Amino acid sequence: MANPIMLFLFCLCYFTRSVEVSDENKLFPHLQYIENSHTLPVPEVCTELLNNFAQSASNFTLCSIKNAWPVTLCKECIDQYVMFKSKYDELLKTVENGTSCKTIYISHDRLDAVLEYYNGILNVWEKGNCNACYDWSGPVPVLSNDTKHFDKMFKETMNCIATNSTTTNMSDEVCERCMQSYLQLDLFYRSLSKDSIGLDSVCFDIVDSMNTTRSIWSKDLNCCKLRKTPEVIFLVCTGIISFLPILFYVAVRFCSPIRALPNILKESRFKQSFLRSSSGRIN
Amino acid sequence: MNNSNDNVNFIVGDSTSIGSTSDTARLISNDEASTSNYTQFNKTSNYEHSDSDDLHGSHGIRRRHPVQKIEPGSMNMLSAKYESLDYDTCENHLLLDEERKRGYPFIVKKDMARWFIILLIGAITALIAFIIDICIEEFSNIKYKELKKSVDKYVLMDRLYIPYLLWVLSNICVVFIGSILVAYVEPVASGSGIPQVKCYLNGVKVPRVVRIKTLVVKAIGVISAVVGGLAGGKEGPMIHCGSVVAAGISQGKSTTFNKDFNIFQYFRDDHEKREFVSAGAAAGVSAAFGAPIGGVLFSLEEGASFWNQALTWRTFFGTVIATFTLNFALSAYHGHPGELSFPGLLNLGKMEPFPFQFYELPIFMLFGAIGGILGALWNYINYRLAVFRIRYISTPWLRVVEACMVAAASATCGFLMMFLLNDCRPLGEDPTKVPLQLYCADGEYSVMAAIWFQTPEASVRSFLHDPLGSYKPMSILVFVVCYFLLSTWTFGLAVSSGIFIPNLLTGAAWGRLLALGMQAIVPSMTINSAKYALIGAAAQLGGVVRMTISLTVIIIETTGQISNALPIIITLVVAKWVGDFFSEGIYDIHIQLAAIPLLPWEPPPLAHNVYASEVMSHPVFTLRTVENVGHIVELLRLVSYNGFPVVDPPLTDDAEVTTYKRLRGLILRSQLIVLLQNKLYNENANTSWPNLNVDMKIFRKEYPRFPSIAELEISEWEKTCTIDLRPYMNPSPYTLPHRASLPRLFRLFRALGLRHLPIVNDVNEVVGMVTRKDIARYRVWRHCGHMGMEELVLSNEI
Repeated sequence: MANPIMLFLFCLCYFTRSVEVSDENKLFPHLQYIENSHTLPVPEVCTELLNNFAQSASNFTLCSIKNAWPVTLCKECIDQYVMFKSKYDELLKTVENGTSCKTIYISHDRLDAVLEYYNGILNVWEKGNCNACYDWSGPVPVLSNDTKHFDKMFKETMNCIATNSTTTNMSDEVCERCMQSYLQLDLFYRSLSKDSIGLDSVCFDIVDSMNTTRSIWSKDLNCCKLRKTPEVIFLVCTGIISFLPILFYVAVRFCSPIRALPNILKESRFKQSFLRSSSGRIN
Repeated sequence: MNNSNDNVNFIVGDSTSIGSTSDTARLISNDEASTSNYTQFNKTSNYEHSDSDDLHGSHGIRRRHPVQKIEPGSMNMLSAKYESLDYDTCENHLLLDEERKRGYPFIVKKDMARWFIILLIGAITALIAFIIDICIEEFSNIKYKELKKSVDKYVLMDRLYIPYLLWVLSNICVVFIGSILVAYVEPVASGSGIPQVKCYLNGVKVPRVVRIKTLVVKAIGVISAVVGGLAGGKEGPMIHCGSVVAAGISQGKSTTFNKDFNIFQYFRDDHEKREFVSAGAAAGVSAAFGAPIGGVLFSLEEGASFWNQALTWRTFFGTVIATFTLNFALSAYHGHPGELSFPGLLNLGKMEPFPFQFYELPIFMLFGAIGGILGALWNYINYRLAVFRIRYISTPWLRVVEACMVAAASATCGFLMMFLLNDCRPLGEDPTKVPLQLYCADGEYSVMAAIWFQTPEASVRSFLHDPLGSYKPMSILVFVVCYFLLSTWTFGLAVSSGIFIPNLLTGAAWGRLLALGMQAIVPSMTINSAKYALIGAAAQLGGVVRMTISLTVIIIETTGQISNALPIIITLVVAKWVGDFFSEGIYDIHIQLAAIPLLPWEPPPLAHNVYASEVMSHPVFTLRTVENVGHIVELLRLVSYNGFPVVDPPLTDDAEVTTYKRLRGLILRSQLIVLLQNKLYNENANTSWPNLNVDMKIFRKEYPRFPSIAELEISEWEKTCTIDLRPYMNPSPYTLPHRASLPRLFRLFRALGLRHLPIVNDVNEVVGMVTRKDIARYRVWRHCGHMGMEELVLSNEI
């Protein structure tokens, strides 16, 4: 048993490139053996699992790209995600006649395509914190209460904005009417995460919905009425405080007591004593 | 007038007496009938007639102010108050006795003790740095969180003046605490501390610089300065803290607490202490930046006078210990205990290796040149401010008021920028700790608020690492101008804060601005903003402090990327050259303003024609080998000198004969004080000397604060006693002949760290004395491509 496998590995190392060529042309008689052994150890089950996995991955990819903007992929693609995940787990676990499917498909070569695609898809899912949308305690993930609640409030707010902006043209009125629901939505969103930005733990569908709402609210409708007054008191305060140092410096410059200038110390040098003694002698 | 005459007189005066009087200073008490008309201490008036030749200095060297009075705040002056440290080992009989008794086991023990002390220094310095770090972080967090709440609340009510005044008030309160401490308790703790440590390592005794009180004031001061929102950093003070820790631990006693642990007595002299202080400064750098190699190089660049291999190795050990301890403590604090390579520990944040092309090297040079010019401008503004402060803001309460005003102005500056500049970014794209909405739309935050509502160090990280589009060019430009002026205004206040971080911040900001400019000019190129921000930061800091080796390594280590060395080196070299063209480094400016006699690296060029006979102080106060106590007391009371040549008694007591006397040794004031204090004298000079049980311990006991002569009580009868100075004096002091040149004297002082150098004639008779101040008064100046040597004047009222 060991011998053929060794030979197989040996040939795989040296002739991987020529294998496919030999399939058609059968240039080298000894490759006949390789062709046989190449297909032999892969059980049917594993091939089937691989096909299923490929299908589920492609389903998820399709769904996620379709729902990329506005971001709804967490909600729309949950079925595909669950399927994809379970197929992969199945692939890992299945052992047929002592041969694990995992050893055949994963970490077998440098390219490692299966694992790469798996990680890529998982990365998209986790970057969006999609798991946070769901309650995973049951056998099947269901939308969590927070998500449902948010969705409800979100729909209310958007409905409010939509209906009011068709009935009235004044954006001020829209703001006034929908203020209550918008503020509730905003407050609820802030309560979802610790940092109140929502980057760390909030599902991305919610983040995106909130961002859209905020953008409509404060940019399209211009409901955030900031800078109502020019903040005169503030400006006066800054003016006074900026003026104080100048006053201080001018004051100390002209009011400080005049101090005696420091004296220079007389140094005792040889030259001076020489001059003294010589002048003393001359005079 | 002319040298040849001087020298002629030497020869004539030495060999034959031509009726001149004693050229060695004497005390009045000894020969009241002395004809010597210029050695009497109290009668200096008869010097006056020779003033006319002072115009020329001693050697035709330019002297800017040939006047009697001098304006405070001028640079061409040395203070006579600064004493030197004694690095020279006094090889007297006591030392020989001690060596004989102790033998080699003691050497082994001492070496081991050295390593142990270095270990302690590293660990304790890092712990202090850790405490400072954490305090700053926590207090700043609280402060900015509360301010954010207040802004969020009052911006809707159109009462922005409330959070603004709150900010101003909190700044003033916090800065007030630190400023009061610095101004009233310990003025030497103000500023960054690097100039003071540099002077100490150079051999100047800066009073109170390494005391525990200074450490406490410094630590609290730096926390208050940074938390108080001033444009200052914590790095310089940490270096100072490291030095104090080293000086304290190595002595095994605390004079402040009057506690002697009776350990490490053998390290109680200036020479050993300096070695530990230089290691402590290195540990401070290492703890401040997380840069162990940078620390070693810093102590070599700023402190050491020659390469001491063993000390360097020990210092390196200490810095590594400091970094290790700090990383250990910080990683535990940040919730990753034991992860010593946790990237959050890197001070300026992990920098990716940035690719650079050959054609970018001129751009780096351009950055360096801009950094040099801006640095020189920074230094000039700060110099003018410092002069103003010296002249007009000298009383402590005025200094406190000034510090509080700068604190208020910093807050004003920040708030006005937040208020006036509408730079908004969507939340979540950039890492921001305290996103403040202010006037931005929902889901956005104000960029200026994000920069101002964090510590300057965090702002440096933001400027280095945020994506290119994070800031509008206009906001950066306003920020650069404001912060540049604020930081130069802040340095020199009565608070303890450094200039590393503010300058890195200014530089990173204008580096990023230039990167944006380049992107606008060449839109097709992808500009790596982190690269140019880092280069800008290095250029700005290099232009201000003019450090080279250590700064390069510190920047490399704080960003964790060795492959960026070449751009940084090129930038720093150009920044230093361009900066040096205009002015000196900021530390040197402040050292010169403080009139500290610092010896530079090299002797003045073209000074080989200045001879020791001109440099030295001439009438020397000498002591005889067996000396009268009354004479010693009188001498110590009347002069402020610290070293006295010990000479043979003259063969004849004839005052009419020239008596340069033969040198036997050198004794220090501190030694004389200890001798008098312990009453080691004898009533009769001719009796045999009792073999008193005297050893080095009595000298070490008083170190480093010897009592002054006024504190000693010497009764009248004791003054007739005599002391034999021979067992205590240094029998083989370094000497030079009077024809030695200034560079030769200089090198001896610089390399050996001498304090006194007797100048002798051909037959080993003392003709003069050279001290540090005699040499430091020859200073080279450079400005805009011109250079020259000037002679400084001394004053003891600075």
